[in-house]
Formats: sequence, structure tokens, C-alpha cells
Amino acid sequence: MKEKKLQNCGKCGLCLNACPVYKILKEEQVSPRAKLHLIKAHDQNTIASSAFLKEIISKCLMCGSCSAVCPSGIDHYSKFMEMRRKMGEAHGEAPAIKSLIYLLAREYRTGFGAGLARTGQKLVPAGLAKKFKLGNIPIKNFPELNPVPFRKAHDEVIFPKGKPAGRVIYFTGCATNYLYEDTGDAVIGILTHMGYEVVIPKTQTCCSIPLLFHGAKDRAMENITANIKALRDIEAEAVLVDCSTCGEALKNEYPRLFEPHDEHLVAAQDIALRVTDIISFINLHFDLLQFDPDITGKIPVTYHAPCHTRNTFSSHLTVEKILQAMPSVDYRQTPDSDQCCGGGGTFFYEYPEVSKKMVDKKIESAKAVEVSHWLTDCPVCRMNLAGNTEKKDGLTVLHPVTLIHAALKQI
Amino acid sequence: MLNTEVKTELIQIVGAAGYLDRPEELACYSYDAFVEEALPDAVIFPKTTDEVSKILKTAGRYKIPVTGRGAGTSVCGAPIPVRHGIVLCFSKMDKIIEVNTRDRYIIVQPGVVNADIQKALSPFGFFYPPDPGSMNSSTIGGNIAQNAGGPRCLKYGVTVDYVLGLEVVLASGDIIRFGSKNIKDVTGYKLSSLFCGSEGTLGIITEAILKVLPKPEAVKTLMVTFDDLDNTARAVTDIIGSGILPAAMELMDQLTLNAIEDSANLGLDRNAQGALLIEIDGVKEACDKEMKKIIEKLKENGAVHIQEAGSDIERDKLWTARRSAYGVFAKLAPDIVSEDVTVPVSKVPEMIRRIIEITERYGLRVGVLAHAGDGNMHPMIPADKGNIEEWQRVEKAFSEIFKAAADLDGTLSGEHGIGLAKSAYLPLVMNQSTINFMKKIKHAIDPDGILNPGKFV
Ligand SMILES: Cc1cc2nc3c(=O)[nH]c(=O)nc-3n(C[C@H](O)[C@H](O)[C@H](O)COP(=O)(O)OP(=O)(O)OC[C@H]3O[C@@H](n4cnc5c(N)ncnc54)[C@H](O)[C@@H]3O)c2cc1C
Ligand code: SF4
Ligand code: SF4
Repeated sequence: MKEKKLQNCGKCGLCLNACPVYKILKEEQVSPRAKLHLIKAHDQNTIASSAFLKEIISKCLMCGSCSAVCPSGIDHYSKFMEMRRKMGEAHGEAPAIKSLIYLLAREYRTGFGAGLARTGQKLVPAGLAKKFKLGNIPIKNFPELNPVPFRKAHDEVIFPKGKPAGRVIYFTGCATNYLYEDTGDAVIGILTHMGYEVVIPKTQTCCSIPLLFHGAKDRAMENITANIKALRDIEAEAVLVDCSTCGEALKNEYPRLFEPHDEHLVAAQDIALRVTDIISFINLHFDLLQFDPDITGKIPVTYHAPCHTRNTFSSHLTVEKILQAMPSVDYRQTPDSDQCCGGGGTFFYEYPEVSKKMVDKKIESAKAVEVSHWLTDCPVCRMNLAGNTEKKDGLTVLHPVTLIHAALKQI
Repeated sequence: MLNTEVKTELIQIVGAAGYLDRPEELACYSYDAFVEEALPDAVIFPKTTDEVSKILKTAGRYKIPVTGRGAGTSVCGAPIPVRHGIVLCFSKMDKIIEVNTRDRYIIVQPGVVNADIQKALSPFGFFYPPDPGSMNSSTIGGNIAQNAGGPRCLKYGVTVDYVLGLEVVLASGDIIRFGSKNIKDVTGYKLSSLFCGSEGTLGIITEAILKVLPKPEAVKTLMVTFDDLDNTARAVTDIIGSGILPAAMELMDQLTLNAIEDSANLGLDRNAQGALLIEIDGVKEACDKEMKKIIEKLKENGAVHIQEAGSDIERDKLWTARRSAYGVFAKLAPDIVSEDVTVPVSKVPEMIRRIIEITERYGLRVGVLAHAGDGNMHPMIPADKGNIEEWQRVEKAFSEIFKAAADLDGTLSGEHGIGLAKSAYLPLVMNQSTINFMKKIKHAIDPDGILNPGKFV
């Protein structure tokens, strides 16, 4: 059956309770349906552009849960992105958001992280660090920067151990590069254990989703073309991501951003086809994993399924399957493991009250299942969950690959 | 916008956070899932019955219209504030007050979402039977006001059959309570029937006591295809006629079947002209017996392929596919209109023939989907509202479909309600004295007509 391109929202309301923001606020105007209605009204000049309109539109985690349930197949993402751009241009961004855009855009040009690390700065810009909290997260709970950016600390090509199985590209994303090297180390450890040669292109840069969310499209495009150039010519069976937001960008957003005749479109489409999240890849080659038979006892863990993992790769069930299959893990599911944690890009900063309510609910259920580790495969979720848990909660928040890697036999 | 005096008075009742009136906000309470829109002057979020009573007293004094709203999933325009005024939104009055499976009831505030009731009951092995397709979003207040039904209502009945008692605030601000926690209760008029389906025109529901049931021990699900749509419909009539009462019996035509197959890939026969999704539940032995009888009837009517869901996962897959039908249709054109005329089950084959004849005559595509076991048809027409000529054909076709249903002793709506969509057609199924009788009831309780004005009474 042929699909028409221009779908109207039928206002069926099925997206209401799929939306984590609506579920907390329970006011129609923040629902996906209302946002579409307002965007249309704005386009037709029945609702004027205003700072308040901008506020409503940005009360959104860009999590994609609305599109995932929408029977009319509306592409909320692109519509929201475009509207955010218009609103950002007309009404400006808050200073903190501006500085984030600046940092991420500069990521490509100068490699800001390296500089920051040398001068011993933290992730949080100095001006903001004076505040006790950034968004809903106490400053002291923010992660420290990697001593050396991950990509700088590693060779561009890493050779496999044991029997060679093939070659993959690793798109590390900013989070692994600057904050969570433990994730990167585990990814490399697992892949080489499986027999894969891992290529980490030096010229890759920020996926630019955060820039797009805040309407900085021009600056984003510079990064995006750099990434396409970095990835397109390397022969490899997959482009792997450890962050599902980067994955969503490479898989869904990049091909949409180019006009039909743009020289980069074909490359973007080709890359999109090869993009896989690390969890699905591990699952696909699970038989290549050799678990360490000497590990006794089971670590009690639970899992938080990030929105982009659910909505882009549907690999949250795979994570649970792998955890259940691991001899060293006692997996305990929480009833709300698939509910949004409220981290969502910079949402935790812009709407701390809403975000805090969401994350507190999650923490309660994680504590109720009495685990020592809380796994999640999105760095923003990790920052949000870890940032809001207290020491006494006894929860270590990690990417699932870290536990998988730790359970493998040395070869 | 309401004048400052009224606004101040209302804000005193609910607080500034419970009162919205900026244009960006008002626009979002102007619609439901029907095609019309009208702006309110203010949106108010009450939290208690007492607040609702005070709001209605104020509104009554100034003669300001008040339209209740749950989740705005109505498909007939019922919560659209056509006369403007106040939209009273219950989405935040959403507490489950008591779950009592020993005495088989649950007490809820009106803003509780249907699916959350199911979630609250599930750990006790109980469920609340009415299951509208919108159950993940629609509220119990909206379900009661629209007397909502759903697929399993064939066996279990609709919302009115599960309302044991209500608390209602009248236009005067008076609070009334009727019914009780008892399954049997014949104390006075059965007032819950009056409010179920009243579409917010008689009173505002602020609390409900609902009957709940233990989950059936066994569930069996069949997917059946036919090479003839007439046979499909006759199988339904035959099964129901033979005294078996399945929990659900969903009919799909070829177009719908293909739409489902496109999205769900179940391996269904794309050439089949009709299909049935049948579910039976109850005690295991009884299910087995009924299943045998159903299969017999299906074969007698020329069923080509009969497939039983082997596991819960397969069963979920079949239902997800069935539910996706609406969505797949919605993708065929910018807009979609779905109606819900209902006929006695023996007339289902004839009604389907007429729907197809009418839509063909107007050059429209139609997907025929039906909760066939109870005669509730859902013809879906994908079209473009922007194409005025086409849209007129759609309206004419539906008007003829309503007439055809009335002709076959059917009725305008099985579950969606009248709202703005169908008030003009009421005379097809009701004489003037009956319409006047409804008007008298309305006038007696709400003499100034402040509750949801502009609708069917
Ligand atoms: C995809 C889809 C599938 C659907 N499937 C079904 C189905 O299978 N069966 C079915 O019956 N319906 C179905 N519907 C229609 C709709 O979901 C129901 O009518 C539902 O009961 C509306 O609930 P709501 O909370 O959205 O109410 P709303 O749409 O907000 O309001 C509906 C009416 O109730 C009144 N109201 C709301 N709350 C109160 C209150 N507290 N007191 C008094 N009046 C109140 C409003 O004034 C309005 O007249 C479907 C709709 C969609 C979009
Ligand atoms: S689910 Fe899709 S069609 Fe339905 S209201 Fe939301 S955006 Fe509109
Ligand atoms: S992207 Fe997520 S937060 Fe934003 S409207 Fe959709 S469901 Fe809500």
C-alpha cells in the first residue's frame, strides 16, 4: 500500500500516555498532540510566536515515544526539531544552553575536551558550577572528565584477540570520549574478545543531536558532514554505537537532513544501514562470548530502558535477555523499567521539577528490588540516574557492557 | 477570556496553577478526536468534589457554559466547548480511592485512566471489563459520560453495566450520590443509567464505584479467514445464534486484512475476502467445548483457514494487529472518518453489503471493521478533508449509512456517542416526543443550560 507523505494528526490521543512529560504534568498543552496542534496553528498564523510558545514546545524530552505509538505515523521528531529551530531563532536560548551549544559545536573544530581536561576543569562550566545544583542534579554528583579523551587514549585501529571474526567501526559519541571511558573500555574489550578488529576513526565528532534539539542546525551540519566523511570509506560490517541517541542520529536523522541530490545523501543512507547498537550486536554474536567459569556468585542488577533504545533499536528487551542469560548476574526487573527517567538531553536542566519527579519514581522502584547495580545504555540517563541517587542508596549506575565485559574469560 | 471578577473568583477556588487562559493553552482544549474545534475562555483543573461544586455555583451565577473533559479522545466532538466558557478538565483528579476485590468493586476519581484501573486490579487477578480502544488514554469520567464499550463488551456488557454508584455535581452545585457498593441495589430510580451516555450534559461526575470481575481462568483466540465476505458475516450470525457467547468477535474485510498484514506480517492470506478474530474465555473445560462448536460453525460457513493462537505472545500479536488496523488506514490519506452504526447481529451481513454499495456509489474507499458479535460496525473511510468535493461525498455516504442502519432496526452509535457528529441524525432513530422527553429531563436539572451546551439536547 502506498503511503501518503503528508499525514494529519487524527487527534486520537493515543500518544498522551506514551508521553513522559504529559504523564507527570497531566495538562494537554504539553502532550505530543497539542504540540502538533500548536505548530500547525503557528504555521497558519492563528497562534503568534511567543516566549511562552517556545516554553511549551521545549517541554519535551525528544524521546520519540509519541511517534512510536502514533497510528498515523507522524514524524514528531522532525516537526519538533524544525519548530525548536524557529523558536530558538525568535526568542533565543538560556545562557547555559547557549554555552552547551557552543561547546559541542566547537568539539569538532578544536577538541574542547582535551583542553578542559588539561586545565583540570569539570564538565560543568565554571560560571554554572557556583550554583549548588544544575537542573535537578547536585553539582557534586556530576561525573568527572576522563583524564585523557577516550579517542586520544586509543589507537585508531585495535586488533582482535583469538580467532578473527571481522571488522567493525566504533562511533564513541561525546559521552564515552569525555566522561565514561569505562564504557568505551568495555566495548573494546568485548569486541576484541569476540575476535573483532575495532576501528575508531579519529575524525569523528559529536553526533550533533543536542545541537539540533536547540535549533543550531548550521553548526550541526558541519559536525554531521565531518562524521559522514569519517565513517563512509571504512570497510566494516557494522557501525557500532554505545549511546542510543547517537544511534538515533546516525540511523534516522542524518539521511533526513540532506536534500535528494546532496552529495552526502547516499553515504548517509549507507551508514544508516550499517548502524547497530552494541547490545544488539553482542546479542547477534552471543555464541562468541566465553564467560569466565571461575566467577561464582551472582550480582543483583536491574535495568533502565532509555527512550531512544526502546524507540530506535527496540533493544531494551535484548538487554534483559542477555542479563538473564549471564551466569554472573541475578537480573531483577522493576515494573517501570521502560518508563522515561526525565533526563532527555538538557530537559533535566530546563525543567528540573518535572524531571525530578520522574527520576525519583524510578529510584524508588530500583531500590525496591534491592540491587547493587543499575544498568542503562544511555549516558544522559546514566548521568541523571547516578546524579540523583545518594550514596546510601547503594546503587552503582553503569552501562550494561561493563558488567558483560567483567564476566568474560581472559583470552 | 472571562472577565476579571469571575476569573478572580474562580482562581480563589482552584488556585492560580489550576486556571489556564493564555491563548497557547486554550488552543489545546479546543478539540477532541473529531474534526471540529472551538475555543474555551478558560480551562480549570479541579482536584476535589468541593471545588467542582463551587465552580459550578459561580458558573451558574454568571451563566457561563461548563464542558467537562477527560482525555479528549471522544470521536464525536462531545468535549468541544462549542459555546465557549469553561472547560473543566479532570486529568489531574486521578486518584484510585479504594480497590476492594473481596467485595468486587473499585472506587475512583473521574480522571483515572481506564488502563490504570486494569493495572491496579491485575495483581489481585481481577479486571474491569469495558475496554475501549482508547483505554491507554481515556478517563473513566469520559468512559461513563460516553457509556464506552470495546471488543469484549460482546460478552461482558458496556460501561453502564459496571457502574455501581456515582457522585455527581449538578449544575446548581448540589452534590448527589446514588447507587452503592452493592452489586444488587434497587433503592430508587437507577440513576446511573441516566448519567451513562449523558455526555456531560446532565451533571459532572466526581467519583465512581465500579464493579470488577475475576479474570477468566482460560482464554482462547482464533484467527479465521474466508474467501467470501458474506460467509464471514453469516458465520458470526450463526455462532451467536447457536447460543455461544464469545468474549469478542472482530470482523475484517479484505482491505483491512491487507492493511494489517502490511504492518504486522502475520502470514495472513492476502486474497481472503473476510476474516474473524474470535476470543472465548471462561473455565477451561467450557472453553474447549465452545471452541469445538465454534469451529464446526466456521467450517459450515466455508472458513478457509483457522489458526489458534498457541501462546500469550501469539495472542497479543493478533490483538495488536487488530488494533493497528485503524492506524494503517489513517496512513492511507491525510484524514480518516470512522463511524460506529450498530445493527442487530442477524442484520450484519446485509449492513455490510449496504456499506460497500453506498461507498462504491460515492467513489470512496472503505475498510469494514466491526465488533461483529454485537453488530457494532466500524466502517472507516480514508479521505482528504482539504479536498472539499471529496469531503462532501464522505458526508453524503455517511448520511446514507446512518439511514441504512436505521432501516435495519439499527442505531446511530454503538459506543462513540452523539456529540456534535450525529445530533442531526437523531430523528432517524427517535421520535420527536422522545427527543422532547430528553429535553425535559435536561431542563429540569439544568434550567440555564450551562452544562455542555450545543450538543444533542
Ligand atoms: C483510537 C480511538 C479508539 C476508540 N475506541 C473506542 C471504543 O472501542 N469504544 C468506545 O466506546 N469508545 C472508543 N473511543 C472513543 C472515546 O475514547 C471514548 O468515548 C472515551 O470514553 C472518551 O473518554 P475521554 O476521557 O477521552 O473523554 P473526553 O473525550 O474528554 O470527553 C467525552 C465526554 O465526556 C464528558 N466528560 C468527561 N469527563 C467528565 C466528567 N468527569 N463528568 C461529566 N462529563 C465528563 C465530556 O464533557 C464529553 O462530553 C475511541 C477513541 C479513539 C480516539
Ligand atoms: S498518536 Fe499520532 S495521530 Fe494520535 S494524537 Fe498523537 S500524534 Fe496525533
Ligand atoms: S518526544 Fe517524548 S517528551 Fe516529546 S512529546 Fe514526544 S513523547 Fe513527549
